[in-house]
Amino acid sequence: MPRYRIQYSKRGSSCYISHLDLVRTLERAFRRAGLPIAFSEGFNPHPRFSFAAPLPVGVEGLAEVLEVELQEPVEHKDLAQRLNGTLPPGLAVLEVTSVPDNAPAPMATLTGAGYVVHIDADDLPGPLPEGAVQDFLDQERIEVTRKSKDGKEKIRDIRPGILKMEVLSQVSGLTVQLELKTGSTMNVRPEEVMEAFFRFTGMTLDKADLEIVRTRLF
Amino acid sequence: MEKQLDKILRRVQKPGRYSGGEWNAVRKDWQSTDVKMAFAFPDVYEVGMSHLGLQILYGMVNDREDALLERVFAPWPDMEEQLRNTGLPLTSLESRRPLRDFDIIGFTLQYELSFTNILNMLDLAGIPLRSADRAGGDYPLVVAGGPCAFNPEPIADFIDVFVIGEGEEAVNELLDAYLSARRSGEGRRDLLLRLAGCDGFYVPSLYRVEYNEQGTVHMVTPVGKNVPALVRKRVVADMDAAYFPTRMVVPAIESVHDRAMLEVQRGCTRGCRFCQAGVIYRPVREKEPQTLLRHAGELLCSTGWGEISLTSLSTSDYSRVAPLVSELIKQHGPAGVNVSLPSLRVDAFSVGLAREVQKVRRSSLTFAPEAGTQRLRDVINKGVTEDNLMEAVEAAFTAGWHSIKLYFMIGLPTETDEDLHGIANLARRVLNKGHALVRAKGRLKVTVSVSSFVPKSHTAFQWEPQNTMAELKRKQALLRDLLRGRGLVFKWHDPQSSFLEAVLSRGDRRLAPAIEAAWQNGARFDGWSEFFDLGKWQRAFESTGVDPRWYAYHRYEYNDTLPWDHISAGVSKKYLVREHRRSMEGAITPDCRNGRCPGCGLCTTLATKPYLAGGETVAPLPDTVQ
Ligand code: SF4
Repeated sequence: MPRYRIQYSKRGSSCYISHLDLVRTLERAFRRAGLPIAFSEGFNPHPRFSFAAPLPVGVEGLAEVLEVELQEPVEHKDLAQRLNGTLPPGLAVLEVTSVPDNAPAPMATLTGAGYVVHIDADDLPGPLPEGAVQDFLDQERIEVTRKSKDGKEKIRDIRPGILKMEVLSQVSGLTVQLELKTGSTMNVRPEEVMEAFFRFTGMTLDKADLEIVRTRLF
Repeated sequence: MEKQLDKILRRVQKPGRYSGGEWNAVRKDWQSTDVKMAFAFPDVYEVGMSHLGLQILYGMVNDREDALLERVFAPWPDMEEQLRNTGLPLTSLESRRPLRDFDIIGFTLQYELSFTNILNMLDLAGIPLRSADRAGGDYPLVVAGGPCAFNPEPIADFIDVFVIGEGEEAVNELLDAYLSARRSGEGRRDLLLRLAGCDGFYVPSLYRVEYNEQGTVHMVTPVGKNVPALVRKRVVADMDAAYFPTRMVVPAIESVHDRAMLEVQRGCTRGCRFCQAGVIYRPVREKEPQTLLRHAGELLCSTGWGEISLTSLSTSDYSRVAPLVSELIKQHGPAGVNVSLPSLRVDAFSVGLAREVQKVRRSSLTFAPEAGTQRLRDVINKGVTEDNLMEAVEAAFTAGWHSIKLYFMIGLPTETDEDLHGIANLARRVLNKGHALVRAKGRLKVTVSVSSFVPKSHTAFQWEPQNTMAELKRKQALLRDLLRGRGLVFKWHDPQSSFLEAVLSRGDRRLAPAIEAAWQNGARFDGWSEFFDLGKWQRAFESTGVDPRWYAYHRYEYNDTLPWDHISAGVSKKYLVREHRRSMEGAITPDCRNGRCPGCGLCTTLATKPYLAGGETVAPLPDTVQ
């Protein structure tokens, strides 16, 4: 069955749709558009969607990646147009390409993600010391604790996962650009980095104050 | 404020409950729309979005050029905390406007245990709780409708106007009246008087209630010109032609019923004597299969739902249900759409239907015999026999189901322990039948689920006391003992919340301070077992000098004025008295669907009649007691 790679954005009110609900939302949008999705076999058939990386609730995505199998071929432009006509506000298809049958799943080839993180001036715990980002990155190790699924706390070094960190603006608050390793080999989250960074500068940060946008997947 | 709202949305568990922007949601231009109404559902988003009435009114009002309707749901406690901490007001989903900016706020009253959420929502909106305190200011008109409006008295002090009965026509009249009042420069009181003169509108502040020394209501007197002594419910005469929302809002987060809803009929005439819905939605009005098929097609196409549910109080009673189901499957099955039937009658026919719609028998089948012995089933007029049940479960086991759920009610009038033994015996007979028919014996399961009887207004049992909590607990314990064993599962409902439900169902205006005090004590989401706390209510009753036991356990006399007697569901009190007497004799009353009208008085009073899509109609009797 034909397989398509769909690049889409998830912004505005749609960023509050959880990943599971997004699957439902997309399935309905495909139905409304009259695009027949292929379903898995078995007891509880589910649509053949495959995502590069689920987006956490509250995070906007500018160029997310989804692969879908359809029951019959559709032209790329047609697929994009029809789907854009039936997606709820905030979700939009940017580009459609075909994927060969034997291509690996998008999750398997993913290595990193780009983010822009913003904190409002009111929420900034204090002024940033000169050169703080460079000093932060110059550390050999950056340790964070993360709870694993069984509830145990584990200490991890995320420094190798931070590919890039740059202050974009300090005009109204702080805006930072990040490039982080994402995928099966290493997975670093932007809020972890920001928390570690503020801790490094001696300040505490409320993670819920972060406005996070995922700008790209690579 | 948008920005602030986004900030608090990042701090709550499920922000999708408040963010709006769903498919088919309507956002109109605020400035250029004449009248703005909010539909307020006093429960969480996932519950409210499963409610058909919301979808109907939402579509109807937003179809008008001069009006808009936006939604607001009860904020979950984590959201309430954020709103209170930041001082942000409660806002609508569509335009994120504070509720205070609306002209009308319409609450839906689906269950009594949502009353504290109403107060909480008003408070979070910065609107005074009591209608008397809103009289002077420029506050939205607070309206409420739905099943609990049939005994509106416990919350009468908080609501400006109740809509009694079906809302389709009434909501348009409400908006029109509001617009006319504004055009002619009328004040709030004039508007209330104007509304009180319309059919089905009850303005509680225009009625004076006096009480007897014994505690019962002495008299309810309308005050003001054109204020009727009796407010009759509204009924949509022609259901087939009635508005039906084919562009339903598709919830953004998974809801309790996350599927297309097709209302096949309204009303149920089986006449179970405990059932309030059976009275307040009379007469039965079926829709034509052609209309339903058309609506189903439009609905599925506009929403993309992969499931369509045939809703009504008893869908297998719909006279054209079998052809409708097969046609729906034929038309939409190939696109992967499932048909679901929410309520099954206890018979083999219904199992046959379930079999047709459910190709894979994964879930269990549920039947509601309601009582364990034929004697008690006759008392409650539940026209189900043991043979019906055995036939139904035989059909179910043969068709491949191995899990059966049985619903019963305990604490029904005249119930004895023999009836409880009857429940256990029935369950065992069903289990034995399963042993004989089910191959995978290990998966065989019979679940007995019992709820406690709550006497409801406008029913034949409205005079009856509820069993005490201690008695209900004793009965539950007895059943638990009787239902031990492999393959049997026993589930029960907390008698404490049934007690509160009885108090609020049978209450009068003197409950208002207690409800307010309970809210102040922190009572919220009382219908949710994780939040329900009778202690908060008990303290509230004590501090306001209300004896809740009197309300739940008091037996009313036939000649007592009941707190809700000035609200008419169309069924005559004489008929209810007769039904109550017949029930005590164990005499059953046939369904008026079968062509014989037992004379409930509704059709003549409301100038309506039952309508069956099969063609047969019933000639209603004049309101006489035979
Ligand atoms: S008046 Fe007769 S026909 Fe009409 S709802 Fe009552 S019982 Fe049925």
